[in-house]
Amino acid sequence: MSLLEIRDLKKHFRVGGGLLSTAGTVKAVNGVSFAVGEGETFALVGESGCGKTTIAKMVLMLERPTSGAILFDGEDLASMGSAGVKAYRRQVQTVFQDPYASLNPRLRVRTIIAEPILAHGRPERATLRKRVEEVLDVVGLPKTAADLFPHEFSGGQRQRVAIARALALNPRCIVLDEPISALDVSIRAQILNLLADIQERFRLTYLIIAHDLALVEHFSTRVGVMYLGNMVEAGPTSEVFAHPRHPYTQALLASVPRPDPDHRPPADAIRGEIASAMAPPSGCKFHPRCPHAMPVCNTEFPGWRNLGATHAAACHLLELT
Amino acid sequence: MASNGQALLRVENLRTHLFLKRGVLKAVDGVSLHVDEGETLGLVGESGSGKSMTSLSIMRLLPKHSGRIVDGHVWLDGTDLTTLPEDEMARDWRGSRVSMVSQDPMTSLNPVFTVGDQVGAPFRYHKLAQGAQAVRDAVVKVLGRVRIPSPERRLDNYPHQFSGGMRQRVVAAMAIACAPRLLIADEPTSNLDVTIQVQMIELFRELQRDSGLGIILITHDLGVAASICDRVAVMYAGRIVEVGDVRTMYRAAAHPYTQALLNSIPHLGQRRRRLYAIGGQPPSLIDPPVGCRFAPRCPRRTAKCDAEYPPEVELAPGHVTACWHPGPGGSA
Repeated sequence: MSLLEIRDLKKHFRVGGGLLSTAGTVKAVNGVSFAVGEGETFALVGESGCGKTTIAKMVLMLERPTSGAILFDGEDLASMGSAGVKAYRRQVQTVFQDPYASLNPRLRVRTIIAEPILAHGRPERATLRKRVEEVLDVVGLPKTAADLFPHEFSGGQRQRVAIARALALNPRCIVLDEPISALDVSIRAQILNLLADIQERFRLTYLIIAHDLALVEHFSTRVGVMYLGNMVEAGPTSEVFAHPRHPYTQALLASVPRPDPDHRPPADAIRGEIASAMAPPSGCKFHPRCPHAMPVCNTEFPGWRNLGATHAAACHLLELT
Repeated sequence: MASNGQALLRVENLRTHLFLKRGVLKAVDGVSLHVDEGETLGLVGESGSGKSMTSLSIMRLLPKHSGRIVDGHVWLDGTDLTTLPEDEMARDWRGSRVSMVSQDPMTSLNPVFTVGDQVGAPFRYHKLAQGAQAVRDAVVKVLGRVRIPSPERRLDNYPHQFSGGMRQRVVAAMAIACAPRLLIADEPTSNLDVTIQVQMIELFRELQRDSGLGIILITHDLGVAASICDRVAVMYAGRIVEVGDVRTMYRAAAHPYTQALLNSIPHLGQRRRRLYAIGGQPPSLIDPPVGCRFAPRCPRRTAKCDAEYPPEVELAPGHVTACWHPGPGGSA
């Protein structure tokens, strides 16, 4: 059974409607479903505005879904009582993108890491101290780090502190929102390797939000590609990257600049820019940029089509084959 | 590094220091490079390696009270920019013969002026177009060059009415307005989505094809550098550690830092179990090591590396590295 399951999740935001503008609805997430198995790393990818971060926020209960369901261990979040929600929050933790913004500069590392523990119980001082030192050790920081402030650390070390905080409560699932993109290139590998190590050691399930496709290919086991609020393709990472079936996934992969001077991204991989979420195109939302658009793409929203046991995509082209 | 008599830009032994309360930060500490006409040089390095300070030194836009070029020369078309009086630099060089595209288009555009006003500014300042209509025509033309659709209608819009990719095109239009000889692009694609990145890369290539423009592309993204550059220089802790043509740098890098950078990032299509992680952190530039600055993190470190900064060696024509133990590295 999957640990985390997302069913037909929607999040619509009302915007404007003030003195100067007319009200509109942004369908940030518009009917997304996927499941993440225990110990798996599921990556959500897509350009800015595709809704991947909104999904992460709903999983973290920082936003309330407009409709749809989030199931954890088979149980619907919406129908959990307050004890259930508290247990859920303990089991699902997060590491944010920017460790310069996610750590309170006025607290010592010890207090930062102890905060989630204290929010969920009243441990004895010695127990708390031991736990803080334990997780610092797991992320490769010395005990003495506990008494320092965030500004005394480099970016990579700060991200280690953020990871230690996420581990403090022994979670089962961690949501990673662009965990390395704010870090220096030579530091990124250290943090990625650390995340891989602790996943293996504690059998963690990761939901990772990332725009760097090379990172996603390296790090995730399954991937969901999003475009303007919808999932357009999902499947095992190795399969989706080797045989992308949706034209958007294909264009995205072709656009990635590679560290290979003989591979220059084709200029015509993709046209135009992502449309406004306020006024998304009719039919398939990708059709104005799609090199293979057909008349039907303009009028009808493509259904989800299975391409194998676990690989699926939403594109009218797939109906032709 | 190797210099060329015909070079458009030649930077010689540039030292730019920042005089801070906590000490003198040697941000750029002996950098030499050249850019030929029509060539793109990639300046690759991490934050704090001095790549942006190098470009600000060329533009003479250093922080007013703390930053100073303490040594070296910046020759552009045979004129040493470091010796020019500020008014001459502003009138005849900055923004006209040498211009810059910065990282974040939202902070480099003023939100309360129209795009037409702002793209028109360099024409007015450098007196390249006289009168409102002439400026307007010039703006329409340059917006067209950076492929902004229907520029005559767009020039009365404000920056917030443009998408991220279009804003970056507007900034590029301002930079090329006066037909510069040299364009410095500081992380021009790093805030953009990949599909927009590839369009920007194509735009830079196009501009260059038309005009023989020399470009310095500052980036930390080795993928972007490979897609656009003719030559690549790698900076570490205020100095260039290796430079060479783009193929050599990606196929036969000789400096352990260059190799480590290439091995530490995931590459599309090459799934590896673990990434090579460079231990430690870059040194403080207030009190840098006497010897090789990468030595404390280097797998090939010997006593010599700690004792003395390595001299530059030319391994092949144009391929220069500063390392006591250069050579092929594998995963080091």
